[in-house]
Amino acid sequence: MGSSSGTARAAARRPVAFWAVLLAVALAVSITVAVTIGPADIRFDEVWASIASHLGLGTSPLPLLRDGIVWELRLPRVLTAAAVGAGLAISGAVMQAITRNPLADPYLLGLSSGASLGAVSVLLLGAAVLLPLAAFVGSMLALGLTLLLASSLGTITPTRTVLAGLAVSALASAITSLVIFWTVTGDSYREILGWLLGSLAGARWPAVAIAIIALVIAGIPILLTGRLLDAFAFGDVTAASLGVNVSATRWGLLAAAALLTGGMVSVSGSIGFVGLILPHAVRFLVGPGHRALLPLSALVGAIFLVWADTAARTLFDPRELPVGIVTAIIGAPVFALLLARRRSST
Amino acid sequence: MSSAGRAPGHGGLTGSRIRVLAGDTLIIDGVDCTVPAGSLTALIGPNGAGKSTLLRALAAVTRPAAGSVVFDDVDLLAAPRRQRARLAAFVEQDASADTAMTVASVVGLGRLPHQDLWRDETPESRRIVAEALATVGMTDFASREFASLSGGERQRVMLARALAQEPRLLLLDEPTNHLDIRAQLSALLLLRELAAGGATVLAALHDLGLAATYADHVIVLREGKVAAAGPTASTLTPSLIRDIYGVHATVLENPVTRRPVIALSPLE
Repeated sequence: MGSSSGTARAAARRPVAFWAVLLAVALAVSITVAVTIGPADIRFDEVWASIASHLGLGTSPLPLLRDGIVWELRLPRVLTAAAVGAGLAISGAVMQAITRNPLADPYLLGLSSGASLGAVSVLLLGAAVLLPLAAFVGSMLALGLTLLLASSLGTITPTRTVLAGLAVSALASAITSLVIFWTVTGDSYREILGWLLGSLAGARWPAVAIAIIALVIAGIPILLTGRLLDAFAFGDVTAASLGVNVSATRWGLLAAAALLTGGMVSVSGSIGFVGLILPHAVRFLVGPGHRALLPLSALVGAIFLVWADTAARTLFDPRELPVGIVTAIIGAPVFALLLARRRSST
Repeated sequence: MSSAGRAPGHGGLTGSRIRVLAGDTLIIDGVDCTVPAGSLTALIGPNGAGKSTLLRALAAVTRPAAGSVVFDDVDLLAAPRRQRARLAAFVEQDASADTAMTVASVVGLGRLPHQDLWRDETPESRRIVAEALATVGMTDFASREFASLSGGERQRVMLARALAQEPRLLLLDEPTNHLDIRAQLSALLLLRELAAGGATVLAALHDLGLAATYADHVIVLREGKVAAAGPTASTLTPSLIRDIYGVHATVLENPVTRRPVIALSPLE
């Protein structure tokens, strides 16, 4: 596919349904295979049998301990990874469209760090029930602060917004570290790393529930607004002339993206770059139309994070990497590439 | 302004006592204006007169601080947004984006006010998009990426997007920008044709010559106020042009088209 010819690339795009089916199958396979990977050797069919037994279909062929590894440890962790990956990818795609900023990402604009700070604050106050809500409030405040800071620099440009996000993110991360350092006795560094770099090590079924509820509450409404997001490509005035309620749509969708980010961060800490790179990858496959871009980004984000987390927990077995290190190693070069391309195009 | 040409209760666009502020600055200062139904009207005036601001207010895409905008008995400022977008289309000046969207999907945005958000596009909407592309002569570009087009081609695609809205009121901000001379003439002929077909068309033009030759009516804006308005021939006089632009003007007749042309020269 040559980027030299727009015609060739547009014509070479396969239908959306093709990618949707392919990616859905790939996600199901990825989840199952990821569960088989780890110190205890578990076969593909054993995974399905265990899942079936817990859904009330037959009894598990696995001994109790091995069944527990599948059902209590690996499966919830892998499902959380899938849901968080989907949520962050949708969140990134929406923010890129609404802010007309190809560099937008919940991590780079400070939402994830804000959410971490919110989550850590209530966690240490002992109000774990409020975790997702506090993470949402934290990510909203961080987003507001980033946009305020970006606009105080003059016209809001993509790079200024990222710089503002960096400042907000640094501040929120520092306060998060401080709060943990102050209150946690014992291994506070591991705790700090988990929130700042993201980790799915502690993900059990409650985490799956929180991530999926956030995905349903905030993600599905976003998926239905694909056509509205297309209208934003030409700016606010053109969108308004097409009958779009620009400010309600903008703030509604940014709030939904913040809610999605908050929900995900409350179970995983701030995992970076998922929301940045995967929507761009999907645009390359199916073009920029958001009705296809949003659901496919969710699928690709889910697959990506399942494998990133599998790498994080197995590469240096028995030690674990925070998954955010894996996503940053892949994402930071892509970010640099996007920056370089912006420079050459303007 | 003169009340000549003011349309009766139905048809045409009527803006009344429109005021627009930018911060504390008054950009549009109590403008009354009329665009007769089925006409091509040019909005002219020096740079900074407030042409773009007035157009946006008339298109109801930005809400004026005061005043009303009525088209065909519909209050555009009060009408539901989607209904308004089915009635009135607006082509922004230099509305552009480096989007990888195809030309056809950009034009398809014009169907947004007509379709449900979650439904697939209908054969009817594909037909309307194809017609709009054919009207602006961009059929061969349908599957090209918008970002790969020249300025003039983009301008034509944005016009096609507006046509896909099937509007009865068309507002355009400098629609001849970026177009070469031949494309400028064909764009204005197209607007005349749309007006002849019953559409009400208002275009901000900085080129007095094009306005004189093609517009049925003109609205002359100066410092946020209407300085003159009415049928082109009787309004766009040498004394008005001298007054507004500070140049000497002679109105001639084009020997080929028999339409007025304006020859400009410096004072003295």
